[in-house]
Formats: sequence, C-alpha cells, structure tokens
Amino acid sequence: MVMGSSGSKLEKALGDQFPEGERYFGLENFGNTCYCNSVLQALYFCVPFRDQLLEHASRSKGSGETDDNLLTCLSELFTQINSQKKKTGVIAPKRFVQRVKKQNELFRSYMHQDAHEFLNFLLNELVDILEKEAKASSKPTSGQVHPDKLANGTANGIANGNHPHPVVTWVHKIFQGTLTNETRCLRCETITARDETFLDLSLDIEQNSSITSCLRNFSSTETLNAEDKFFCDKCCSLQEAQKRMKIKSPPRILALHLKRFKYIEQLGRYKKLSYRVVFPLELKLCNTTDDAPGSEAEYSLFAVVVHVGSGPNHGHYVSLVKSHNHWLFFDDENVEIIDESVVQTFFGSTQEYSNNTDHGYILFYESLEQKH
Amino acid sequence: MAAPNSQSPSVRTHFKTPEGRYKLSHEKTHPSSVLHYSHGKAITQVTLAHLKDKPPQTPSTSSSSSSSGGVGARFSAARLLGTGNGGSRLNFGGGNGFSGRLTGGGKSTTVSSAGMGLSNGPLASSYDGEGTFLIFNVGDALFVSDYVSQDKDPIKCLHFSNANPVSHTYDPDAKDGHDLLIGLTSGDVYSASLRQQLQDSGKKLVGALHYNKDGAINPSRCTSVAWVPHGDGFFVVAHADGNVYIYDKNKDGSGDVPFPPVKDQAQFSVAHARSSKSNPIARWHICQGSINEIAFSPNGFYLATVGRDGYLRVFDYAKEQLACGSKSYFGALLCCAWSPDGKYVLTGGEDDLVQVWSMEDQRVVAWGEGHNSWVSAVAFDAHWIAPPSDESGESVTYRFGSVGQDTQLLLWDLAMDEVVVPLRRLGGTLSGSPAFREGGALSGRWDGVQPVGILHPAPVRKEVPKLAPVMAHRVHAEPLSSLIFTKDAILTACHEGHVKIWDRPTQGDSPARNSDTADASSKEKQPPVKSGLSQFKQ
Repeated sequence: MVMGSSGSKLEKALGDQFPEGERYFGLENFGNTCYCNSVLQALYFCVPFRDQLLEHASRSKGSGETDDNLLTCLSELFTQINSQKKKTGVIAPKRFVQRVKKQNELFRSYMHQDAHEFLNFLLNELVDILEKEAKASSKPTSGQVHPDKLANGTANGIANGNHPHPVVTWVHKIFQGTLTNETRCLRCETITARDETFLDLSLDIEQNSSITSCLRNFSSTETLNAEDKFFCDKCCSLQEAQKRMKIKSPPRILALHLKRFKYIEQLGRYKKLSYRVVFPLELKLCNTTDDAPGSEAEYSLFAVVVHVGSGPNHGHYVSLVKSHNHWLFFDDENVEIIDESVVQTFFGSTQEYSNNTDHGYILFYESLEQKH
Repeated sequence: MAAPNSQSPSVRTHFKTPEGRYKLSHEKTHPSSVLHYSHGKAITQVTLAHLKDKPPQTPSTSSSSSSSGGVGARFSAARLLGTGNGGSRLNFGGGNGFSGRLTGGGKSTTVSSAGMGLSNGPLASSYDGEGTFLIFNVGDALFVSDYVSQDKDPIKCLHFSNANPVSHTYDPDAKDGHDLLIGLTSGDVYSASLRQQLQDSGKKLVGALHYNKDGAINPSRCTSVAWVPHGDGFFVVAHADGNVYIYDKNKDGSGDVPFPPVKDQAQFSVAHARSSKSNPIARWHICQGSINEIAFSPNGFYLATVGRDGYLRVFDYAKEQLACGSKSYFGALLCCAWSPDGKYVLTGGEDDLVQVWSMEDQRVVAWGEGHNSWVSAVAFDAHWIAPPSDESGESVTYRFGSVGQDTQLLLWDLAMDEVVVPLRRLGGTLSGSPAFREGGALSGRWDGVQPVGILHPAPVRKEVPKLAPVMAHRVHAEPLSSLIFTKDAILTACHEGHVKIWDRPTQGDSPARNSDTADASSKEKQPPVKSGLSQFKQ
C-alpha cells in the first residue's frame, strides 16, 4: 500500500476533522478499469451497502467458506479498505477485477467499459448470489417457514414450500423501488396497472434541464396509437391508450443513470450527449403515485460517477463522494477534498464543443426518511 | 407552452402573451475577446440604472475635506472630485460640479443642451444629464451599455484584477455621492459614482471606496449587494458563508475585523461593531451555507434572504429580528423578489419552482410549475396593467416573471382576493405540520403585534395551489440569469453575458388584431384574466 502524495495532502487538509475510523483510499487502474473503480468508490461510501458487505465478510470468516464469487471478492475488498492501518493510500483491487472479468466476458477486454453497465451487472450478480444462498439455506427444512439464520437480511425465503416468495435480499432493501405502469384505454377508460421493480432508473436527458425535469419526462404520459395500439381486455380489441410509469415505492438508495450515450442512426454509432443537466444536493421525487408512501421523502446526494471525455469510447471515469459532510474527488489512485460547490462543475456543457468534458453520469441519492 | 424538444431549438424573436406580442427590440453584448463563461465563477447579472439630471452646480470648495465624517452623517453637497483611482480613502465629489477638473481623459464638461431622456436624442458624451444604462458583469469585467441605443457594444468597460464582479446594484434615490455598488468573488466590495465612471475614459473604477479589502472582514465571495431604501447611504452585502454585513458608504472601509467569531453557525445572530470607526457596522449571521440573494421590501422595513439551506427568511430590518420564513420544496433557493405593495415575496430555486409567499397570510399561496431547470431570477412586473375585468374589482391580479437555467422566460398571472382573510395573524403552523422556532439567540418578547418569527417547513405538494404560466418561451440559447421589467420592455440576460430587450406590446397589438398568430383560438378575444390559480394538470 503506497501512500500517494495526494493522501498526505488529504490528511493534512482534514486534520483532526478526519472522521473516526474512516478510510480514504484510491484504487489502482489496471488498464481502463476506471469504470469499475468509480462505481466501487460510490458503493463503498453507500453506508448501508458497505455495512452489509463488511458484515458478510466477518461472518464468512468464521464459517470457513471457500466460495469465490463476486460477493466474497467485493466484501473482501471493502474489508481490506476498512481495516487499513493508514487513513489514506492506494489499494489494488486485483482479485475483484479478476473475478469481474471471469464472470462476464463483456468486461474481459481492455476496452473502455460503461460504468452503468458495470453497476447493473454487479448489483444483479450480488442479488443472484444472495438468492442462491437463501434458497440453499432453507432447502433442508422445506415446508417449514423458519427464521433465516443467515443474518444477511434475506427474509421469508420460502413460505409453505409451495409458492416461494421472491427472495428479498439486502441489495433489494437498499436499492429496490417499484414502478407502476398504468395504461388507460381511451375508449372505456379502464386503467390497467402493472408493477415493476427497479434497482436504478435510466433517464433520457435534454439540454439545459434538471434531473427533476428528466424524472418528470420519465413519468410523462405516452400515447399509444397507430401501430402501437393497446389491447384492452375489457374492450377485447386494440384501442388507443395512454400510458405512464410512476414511482409507487421509492427506494432507500436512488441511483439515477443519465442516458448520455445515444445511438445516432445517421452516424451509425454511439455519441456522447454532453447536455447540461443540473442536479441538486437535496431532492424530492416529483413523479410518485399519489398514494405512494414516502412520496414526500427527501433525498440527499452522496455520490456522483462522472464520465470524462467527448465520446463513448475514449473516456475516463471519476467519482465525487460525500463522506461525513465533506466532498471528495476520487480519480483512480488520487483522492482530493473538494468544496461542495465544485459538484456543480460536473453538470455538463451548454455548448456542443466545449473544453469541459466532465459530466455527471450516475447520481446516487440516499433517502433521509427514518423508516428505513 | 412546452419548449421544443431539440438540442438547439430556434430562439424566437417574439413571444405571445394575453396582452399581445413582445418583440425583440435590441440586444446588448460584450466584445467577444473578453473571456467566456467558465464554470459559474461569475454569472452575468444586469442592473438598470437611471441617472437623473444633475442637480444645479453648487459652488465647489477647494479644500479637501476628509471624507470620513461622523457616524452616519450625511455628506454635504459640495465636495471635490478627487484625482486618481482606486485607493481606499478618497475625497470624491458627488454628481455635482467639478468645475472643469477631471481625471484622465480630459473631456470638457459641457452641460448637455437637453436632458438625454429615454426615447430619443443622441447620447451626449459628457453624461451630464439623465440617461438610462445597463450594467452587467462578464468574467472579470463590468460593462455599461446605453439602454436606449440600438448599438450592441457597451460604452464602458471596467476591468477588475484578481477577482470577478459578481453582484451589483444602483441606488436611484442616492442624493449625492456613490450610487453604484459592486461585489466581487473575492469578497471585496466597492461603492462608486456611476456618472463618474461614465465621464472617465479609463478601464478601471475611479473615485471608489473599497470595503472588505482583501477579504479581511470576510474572505468568502460576495453573492448579493443591496442599498437600504431611504437609508442615507447604508448598504448590505451578503456572502457565500452565510454572513450579511451592513455598511455605511459615508465611512471608509475599515481594515480590522470588528466582530467576534460566530458562536453557533446554525443560529441567526447579530453582532454590532464596537468601534464607531468600523465599517461594516454590523454583521448578521443568517444561517449555515451561502446566502444567494437579498432583497429589501419596497418600504425598506423588511429584508428577505434566500440561500443554500433552502429557506426564505424575512427579517424586520430595524428590529434585527426574523419576522417569518419558509422552506423550498427541496434544494437551495436562488432568488427572491418583493411585490411592489410589499405583500408578496417570490422565490425560485433548485426545485424548478417559483413560490409565492404571502406576508399577510404567512403561507405559500401558490407554486408556479413550468420551468425545466433551476429558477435563476424572479421579479414582479410593476408596469403591467391588468385588463379591464367584468367583476366588481374584488380581485387583484399580479403579473410576475421568472427566468431559468432551462433558457426559458415564464410569465405568470396570480389573482388574489382584495379582501384577504388571513389564516393566522401571528404566523402559526401550517396544517398541523410541525414548525420550529428560529433564532434562539433572540429574545422571545412580544411587542404586541407579532412574536419573533417562525420558519415554516417545506410545503406538502398536495396542499399548495399550483399556478401555470401564461407564457413560456426559450429566449436565449444559454441558461438565463437575470430578469428586469421596465416601463416599456422586459430585459433578459444569459450566463454568457448577452442581454435582450423585449418591447412590450403596443396599443394596437392585441391578440385579436394580430394577423400572424398561427392558431385560430387566439383570434378570439381573450377573456379578462381572472383566477390564475388553476390546478395544474399532474
């Protein structure tokens, strides 16, 4: 563990304000692995997520498991950071990156990867592993509902052995929200609603807009007509309809992905949209269903994964993270303290060709609601 | 009313409203060699300054009297114009005679034969008479443009080294002396005479007083400056660290720090300078986090502040106490403005909303939804006249406007009942939601009318009446930052330092007679504006 020069600068800057027990470590880049590093930093500073992984690591120590999967590798990495003697430095997440590449051939090349794709892959992988663990642990006593001994938060693994409830892992408890898809037949006015869960939201963006406006557009009413007519069960025929998606159950941690990479047909390739999309440090969702519990819940921004670069293929990722009320800038090995106002320099550009190519790409908000 | 959905939407040269078409009259900009906007270091703000005719020349004395008169003493009219520029101690002359002795350029002081007036007549180069000017900041410069002239280029450029001018204001009621205030990103503040700048040919501020030099009193950036109405030269400066200072333009800026450190950053507190030589004379610590804008009520009784913590705070200025306050829906509040009658305060912020706060009702009476990004500036249109109504005049309609980072200008009509039944006279709680007391440092004494004010929590979305704009248009290519209503126009400015002047509809320009309106519905006579409070469709 090499103590980078930025590390000592950081320690000096914080002085005795350095939070007790906290560790600020940069991550080494193994050849375009910044897509991974930036997401890891954001997740490490997602306190409930980190706590679960640290807990998992300390439990599996005792049980002598030799399972080598993404969950164990990640919890090992987080434990490694957390238990460093020094307060700052650099860590090489070798084992974790190896595991990622092994698991998914998409990440095997040394090409630039998409941080959101990685986040998506990681969270779903963790869910799979946790679900398997939950099922494995409740199999021997099928037919009986017994309290889950594994303290990793899975609940109600199997009920009555007949209709297994979907396993609710701690990943779900942290990131999962529910959308309700409402389709209203314009002929008979019947509304068909279908719920759908999500671990993050991908939002279309517009130039000179705010994240609130993007969320509003996400939930705006779409008209289904012409070739897209809706088959209404009541009318038993294709009808014109209106459809919209609203948030029924807001998640504890709200991850918002700005769709900056758009496929341009005329060019035959992806292009990066450098649109200026402002996002506040505190947020309330404007697109919840009226009866959604916690629809007035306030969220607080704690991490931003930033894409640097003018195009999708030649880019770099860095992250901004809030830890104990101060903001930090993580760029692979380098860690710096920044002022809160610096976050606003990552909104995007109002002009097509600009010197500024650092744009907010994934936003992480934490609910301030106490009920969680 | 939604803006077109393309990356580079066409920016119109006119927009339609219930009262007719506003047309782009002319634009003001700056030489493009001046640096471009860089990451919000200093966003363009616009100040409108109407210089009145100079008062008749008084016999000027040749003695150089000290400019630091007694505390709060009004300056005598006869003072000499000093030479040189900058410096923190200067004998300066007001708008009066300077009997031929001028700095630099050596323009002769010919009294213009006729006042410049607003509408016609060439701009006399001596700037002796009256005139209307636009003052706006771009990068490290402050530009002055002639409001009337169709010429795009500014007539004056003031360059600041080491810091960017970021806030400025003009005192139309200044009887003498300085009438222009400039706040910088370094925290430094200058007061100066606008006329004197116009009459000087250089690129630096002349005859100015310098306050908070090198940030000695407060190193954080200036965010907003305001003259105290009818205040004999007192002015207020807000900073990015949540502090607000009261200064006296008739005293030099003092170099030493006259205030003890703030004890509790989260509490409102007022500290007065111990020494009578001190300038600033008082510090108000408002809250934790930046104050983004301050505004006095028209009568000068109240000072409104909005900032990073999302609260609008209205202070009784003389009593130095919180009168009332309210929270944004979420996020920081970026701007605030008073209605001409002092009954309402507009706020705009990071929740994309324009909120209307009623001083009498002590609650948010309307939410304007319509912007697609943060609201940068809000203002009431004091010159707008409501169309004749069939009703017996039971309601009063207010017209106000807002500009946002979505490049849009929005206009709103708010109809309020003339006879307002206040819900709670004494500033109580909102619909059962908990309120908390602010200003623990203040005494809880009752002066018979109102207790120390309460900060109301954020409104619940369902409980606030929603207001839809009567007009929404993209008026610039860049995010907007400033909005001013004048007698004959609307002024908008963008981040990049371009100002547009939109002429108000002429008499014969009502929608019914406007032949180039596209939609048929507007050809019908518009109904008189009645209730602007409609439930906005969700």
